[in-house]
Amino acid sequence: MAAEVSRRDFLSRLGVTVGAAATAASVPLVGAPALIERAHAQPKGNIPDTPYKVGHMTFFTGAAAVLGEPSYKGHILAAEEINAQGGLLGKRKIETIKADEAAGTDANVKEMRRMKLSEKIDLFTGVISSGNTPALGPEAESLKLLTIFVDGCTDFLFDKAVLNPHYIFRITNMQSADGVTAAVATAMTWPKVRRIAHIHPDYSYGRNAFAHFNIVMKKMVPGAQVVSEGWPKLGTTDFTSHITKAIAAKPDLLVASVWGGDYVAMYKQALRYDMFKKMKFTSMIAFGVAPHAIGKDHPEGVIAGVHSNYYFNYPPQDRWPLNSAFVKKYLDRWKEYPNFQSEGAYTTLMLLKQTVEKANKLTGGWPDDEAIISQLEGASISGPAGYLHIRPDNHQGYKDAMTGFSVNSPDYPFQILDPNRIITIPIRNITAPPGWPAPSGEDTRTYTWIDKTWPTVKL
Amino acid sequence: MSSMPAATRRLLLAAGPIIVALAVLPYVVDPYDTVLLSYGLIFAIAALGFNLLLGYTGLLSFGHSAYFGVGAYAVAFTLKYLKVSSMELFVLAGVLASAVVAALFGLICVRYTRIYFSILTLALSQVLWSLAFKFFWVTGGTDGLRVPTPTLLGVSIGAGQDKMTFLAHRYYYYVLVIFLAAVGVMWVIVHSPFGKALQAIRDNETRAEFVGVQVWHYRWIAFLISGVFAGLAGALWVPLNGLTTPDILLWTFSGEIVFFTVLGGFGTFAGPIVGAVVFNYLKTFAVGYTVYWQMFLGVVLVLLVLGLPTGIVGTAIRLWGKRRKTA
Repeated sequence: MAAEVSRRDFLSRLGVTVGAAATAASVPLVGAPALIERAHAQPKGNIPDTPYKVGHMTFFTGAAAVLGEPSYKGHILAAEEINAQGGLLGKRKIETIKADEAAGTDANVKEMRRMKLSEKIDLFTGVISSGNTPALGPEAESLKLLTIFVDGCTDFLFDKAVLNPHYIFRITNMQSADGVTAAVATAMTWPKVRRIAHIHPDYSYGRNAFAHFNIVMKKMVPGAQVVSEGWPKLGTTDFTSHITKAIAAKPDLLVASVWGGDYVAMYKQALRYDMFKKMKFTSMIAFGVAPHAIGKDHPEGVIAGVHSNYYFNYPPQDRWPLNSAFVKKYLDRWKEYPNFQSEGAYTTLMLLKQTVEKANKLTGGWPDDEAIISQLEGASISGPAGYLHIRPDNHQGYKDAMTGFSVNSPDYPFQILDPNRIITIPIRNITAPPGWPAPSGEDTRTYTWIDKTWPTVKL
Repeated sequence: MSSMPAATRRLLLAAGPIIVALAVLPYVVDPYDTVLLSYGLIFAIAALGFNLLLGYTGLLSFGHSAYFGVGAYAVAFTLKYLKVSSMELFVLAGVLASAVVAALFGLICVRYTRIYFSILTLALSQVLWSLAFKFFWVTGGTDGLRVPTPTLLGVSIGAGQDKMTFLAHRYYYYVLVIFLAAVGVMWVIVHSPFGKALQAIRDNETRAEFVGVQVWHYRWIAFLISGVFAGLAGALWVPLNGLTTPDILLWTFSGEIVFFTVLGGFGTFAGPIVGAVVFNYLKTFAVGYTVYWQMFLGVVLVLLVLGLPTGIVGTAIRLWGKRRKTA
């Protein structure tokens, strides 16, 4: 479409909202617990009391652990909560086997096989890196292993590797949504940026972040150009050369999707070069790490993404009791605040619980995998982050995308997202709809959909 | 039979029961264990090739991941660009590609020995790794390239057939036959006049040259054969793993190939085979049971070097010899 619109119209069509969260702080919601704890119905039929074995794979070692380990903590929190009620359907206790994703893709494939064939797990979950799901997804399909990936959110999984998933599902928002959210937030905040530098990890996540950011900028900020690119390897701890290269290009803006411990190292090194004073900064996933990993020395007022998924102070806790309850439980159990992986892993098990209960009502007894899958397709759940919908055609989870601005608050010993300036975008408006054809080339569905259907902003 | 060399007769005597055991294995153990053993057999082919250089020629290559990886990527590229999925063609592509690369790298490396040789092989393998890593749109970068189930001898996996059953039966036997053939070929090579010449070079280069062995030329051929074995293993490994990633071109994988051989014992013919199979079990066990798997493997290596410097097979042979003497 060659249509041109003004930027203001564009943003209102996208439904972008900048939320003020802290207004209702003094009005506690009455009866909140009742909303969360639904009446426990008696399951139908005979339920075996054998444990329900779940394999959880995430990063326990290396720089990625600061983002990945919270996944395990969210998972365990949910498992303990379910087990305290007797287990799934009141009978089957969840038993978790964990594995370190840092062992490498090849070893991860082997480990998934071992879990299924040797440990006889019922469900596989976790996985952080987008480099791993395109390998593990097809493997899970051929093992006929029910799998709910917490992350590893590359579009390529369902656009290329597994076009018609049956056994595999995924919870967190797709990667394309992440790049698009960062670009929309940038375009509405700093519409005058023209010279843009990029630093992204050199694998599918970084490549996707780069591609989707650029296609949206092409539509919303015509005239913006890429003046520098840096592609550090995932797991890099020395960013000096990339930082100096970006500074030398004299950009208006730096965009980065470096994540986990890598990002912590990068921003600390960038501070030494006064980089944040020389340019504006947008990140897809800076605040994706466990919140306490971001120090107060982090620059304020930058767009500090959370993988377009979740930050613990949004939805505002007093207005969305599911979130306040989750944050409180997590804080009590682990003495730290959750990140989006914690929320994803927690919601994964809660979704499983809800699904098993629904399937049990239909079939009686313990529902087999086919019954669980049919109930997971099109499932919807209210989680700490808001409503999550599992699309039946591609088994991908969709929830409204969010990002925000970094700010120091006296209430926390680390830097947080400014609760008064959270940006949210309805997910429907920034991802390819069902039925959109899979591109034959290297692009994602969302990429071609934006390229073909979005109007261009009139300068 | 009397014309058969004593060494070959001993091999057949020892190998017979093992071959029978390997052949009936899929009917006895879990598919999972069969698949795990397939990995071991494939790594064993690579280790056999590696040991032609280390054990027989006295050259420590620290870059054998290069040939293994080239074999694997040749398979992925054959599928990506030629759109074929026949395992025979995959193997052919893997062998040819690794032969070309080994011939080229060999020309550069065999002019040097000892640490210079090791460093050169390491450096060249790192070049290939960085190519696989950086050419994202060609190699998929760290995401790698996926290779679905191939056809074996023109027969594809049946519709709705379980992939694990396929891997644990048909593919296992495919690997087993190639493995046995590779062992046979390597046995012939090391017991041939060429193999003896290599050992002469290992023991005393100058003396070998004086009796007329073209040292440089022989080393190059050994390097080539060694690379082809690794490439063959790489090609066989891909369908088992489902994809290739730059991890198998990285120096750490070269280190694992060295580890296989040291674990089994590089002074014996069977050492690398046993080492590869055992290491594969060790690593899978370690990754599955502890997040400190790297430390676990490190400790094993240290204990091994200190306690069993001749490896598992070398130590077993020594103990067996002692028992025979006392009996």
